[in-house]
Amino acid sequence: MMAAIIIFVSLALLFGLLLGYAAIRFKVEGNPVAEQIDKVLPQTQCGQCGFPGCKPYAEALSKEETEVNLCIPGGNEVMILISEITGLEPKEMDEKVTENKPKETAYINEDVCIGCVLCIKECPVDAILGATKLMHTVIQAECTGCEKCVPVCPVDCIEMLPAKVTVENWQWPEPALKPTDHTVEKNKIGAKK
Amino acid sequence: MSQRLTHTLIQKMAHFYPMAKRWLHHFHGGIFPQYNKSLSLQQPIKETIFPEKLVLPLKQTNGQKIELLVQIGSYVKKNQCLAQAAKDNKKGVIVPIHAPTSGAIEAIENAPFPHASGLETLSIIIKPDGKDLSIDNVLKVSGQAPSHPQQLKTILLNAGIVGMGGAGFPTFAKIPNNVGQIHTLVINGAECEPFITCDDLLMQTHACDIIQGAVMVANALGAENIICGVESNKPAAIQALQKAASGTNITIKEVETVYPMGSEKQLLQELTGTEIPVNTHAIDNGLLMFNVATYAAIYRAVTLGEPLTRRLVTVAGFGLKSSYNVFALIGTPFETLANAGQPTQVIDYPLVMGGPMMGFQVPNNQVPVIKTTNCILVNPPETLATEMPCIRCGECMEACPMNLLPQQMYWHSQAHEFDKVEQLNVFDCIECGCCSYVCPSHIPLVQYYRHSKSAIKELRTEQKAAELAKQRHEFRLERIEREKQEREARLKAKKEAVKNRAANPAKDSSESSSQPKKPSAAAAARAAAAKRAAQAKKQPPEESQASPSETTPSTIASEAPRKIPAARQKAIEMAQKSAAAKTGSKLEPTKDPRVSAKRAAAIAAAKRRTQAQKSTTETAKVSETINHENKTLPDKDPKEAAKKAAMSAAKRRAQAKINTDSTPPDSIEKQAQPSSETLESKPIDKRQKAIEAAKKRASEHKDRQAKQQENA
Repeated sequence: MMAAIIIFVSLALLFGLLLGYAAIRFKVEGNPVAEQIDKVLPQTQCGQCGFPGCKPYAEALSKEETEVNLCIPGGNEVMILISEITGLEPKEMDEKVTENKPKETAYINEDVCIGCVLCIKECPVDAILGATKLMHTVIQAECTGCEKCVPVCPVDCIEMLPAKVTVENWQWPEPALKPTDHTVEKNKIGAKK
Repeated sequence: MSQRLTHTLIQKMAHFYPMAKRWLHHFHGGIFPQYNKSLSLQQPIKETIFPEKLVLPLKQTNGQKIELLVQIGSYVKKNQCLAQAAKDNKKGVIVPIHAPTSGAIEAIENAPFPHASGLETLSIIIKPDGKDLSIDNVLKVSGQAPSHPQQLKTILLNAGIVGMGGAGFPTFAKIPNNVGQIHTLVINGAECEPFITCDDLLMQTHACDIIQGAVMVANALGAENIICGVESNKPAAIQALQKAASGTNITIKEVETVYPMGSEKQLLQELTGTEIPVNTHAIDNGLLMFNVATYAAIYRAVTLGEPLTRRLVTVAGFGLKSSYNVFALIGTPFETLANAGQPTQVIDYPLVMGGPMMGFQVPNNQVPVIKTTNCILVNPPETLATEMPCIRCGECMEACPMNLLPQQMYWHSQAHEFDKVEQLNVFDCIECGCCSYVCPSHIPLVQYYRHSKSAIKELRTEQKAAELAKQRHEFRLERIEREKQEREARLKAKKEAVKNRAANPAKDSSESSSQPKKPSAAAAARAAAAKRAAQAKKQPPEESQASPSETTPSTIASEAPRKIPAARQKAIEMAQKSAAAKTGSKLEPTKDPRVSAKRAAAIAAAKRRTQAQKSTTETAKVSETINHENKTLPDKDPKEAAKKAAMSAAKRRAQAKINTDSTPPDSIEKQAQPSSETLESKPIDKRQKAIEAAKKRASEHKDRQAKQQENA
């Protein structure tokens, strides 16, 4: 009887200590689910989901406080990924998402710009350069294309333009989409004869 | 003997089982297409054709800067350097461009160039004058073979030599820096693509150049062995090379005729038995391989100092009556060369650069010959075999020389599961086209892999961009938060100071005024602000990185005011100014000369301001009294007057600041007492003035209220 009590008490103590140690040693900083969601979000920081940036949306999602279909730039793909991570029911996208919309970046018409700094304040990634009453310009490499600066401009000098196709970023077309572009197929004729 | 026997046996077997031929070579897969090489092989090499214009694209390695050395209209001679790598180009995998013949630079503009995208690129356009005047030994070589890799690299860079087999990677960049890193040098004479015979003919006619070039490279790099691999379908070339190589340590090896024998990894495996591991280059394994045409160009550059300005090009196809090979100038338009081969019909179809297996249709037949153009294929278009569903026969897997799983990659690529395509090593695909060739369903498999590769690259850049955006966004949030906290801290400090002042006004008044008066709360507040100003000057605060929008106009002042947080300073000034403005000009300057200077400036500013105000408003009483004291009567536009007043006020303020700050600021109040004794003619002190200001303000307020009531 006594022996059993001693054994169980000591076992309980041992496991308690173990658990306590593990809780400290293997403590997870932050919310891993939120981090995971944040990784799949497009990081445009556009706020179209109603949250001030991608991370707040990811955090709200991890607490299941919001819908999975709010990320407009991410589209259906991101929605599915989110629902996979969170285990929430996938939902149709709210607004009509233009699929495969080419990436656009903001351009400031520098002749029209009055230097009001409104867009600078709005830009979530500090991609706009300029100062009060001086011309502004967009650092193209850092623009996420969130379009936040477009409505705030009082003189409508900001334009969203698709990225220019250069030899560097040109992509081979997908054969299924362009059945007439089978270069290799066409060339093969000579070899097969 | 037994080897020879098996060889003949297998060749016999191939009659009823064609794929038996695959047992004859060492790498996996491979195909045996119809070669059609005889079309262009018989003719002798054609004389160089001088086109009406030469187009030299400036585009080389992705996104690297190139510097032009010529202008539109300038006359250039053959071999003259036209453009070279920009001096600030750190990576330096860019080679100079030389004029292929003499003539005038007609234009430097966007022109089509041979790329599957059909995009245009900036090009130098030369109008040849037909004289073909040249600069001899433009590279200024001594003719001596270089003894160190570095010497060789310099010559190759200046000569603008790139890999002429197809990849076009600058040769100098491929060569290692030190002696002994390469043990085996390989000459690639396999030329496995159908139709192409330029390497074959070069080996036949310039065997000595190739051999000498290889010997030079091997000596410079300290390579022990030189192996030359030539496909068995080029007996004349093998013979010529063997003749040229007699007396050297070069071994000429005949390799099986199988596509893609000419690919670097496949030929190395065939010749040395080494399979190049994933993610390593041949150089990492002590092997180095160049195409025969590259060796010939190296020879000419090293001995004659001649840059690479022409190359042997095969112009062949069923669309020509006489296919031929020609030493074409770099920059010659494709169409010019195609038309020289007596086309059977007008060439209104796209030409192909390269062979039928790996080549691509050029977007415009005016594209120029570049250093990697080994063949211009003139095949009239034929009806396409329709693509049918994959039947999972596995033929593509059997044919793949890289041991990949083409069918799996195809499925995932179709489903846009690019991560899985990447896991299947799509980046090891050499795009040889064997899989597409054997596919019974006519699926353009290589197109799928090309698309996947570019899609994966795009995804990677997107990921990088997203990471950057995230970092920048987080930094922005942090910055906003920090600024907010700083602002709050400042506000809090200010409030506390006010509270302290209000709590023990008696002590303050005894300190600062000789004639204590009843302190009103407002006056106390303003006084506190003034004290804070003194304190602020005493201790330069830490949070001096206020946002630029908050900076005061007093930047012309000396070091001291800059240390004070701009916002605080502004607040102080505002407080002082308003105090001065309210009391108006009734007040006399204070005892302290520094303070008085400041005050005088503030008063002047206030005067002007009120003046401006007066002209805009009709409410008169207060302003009238001030107006009496004002000597200047502004008849101008009120706005302009206000602006002027503000400007002069700012100027004076700045001036006053210089005066005040040049002495230790903590002395302001302490000095107040002694200076009051010296300047007794101006007895009214700060405090008194403040009180009066408060009174005045109250009366003003009353007036306004009364007026409002009247109006109502």
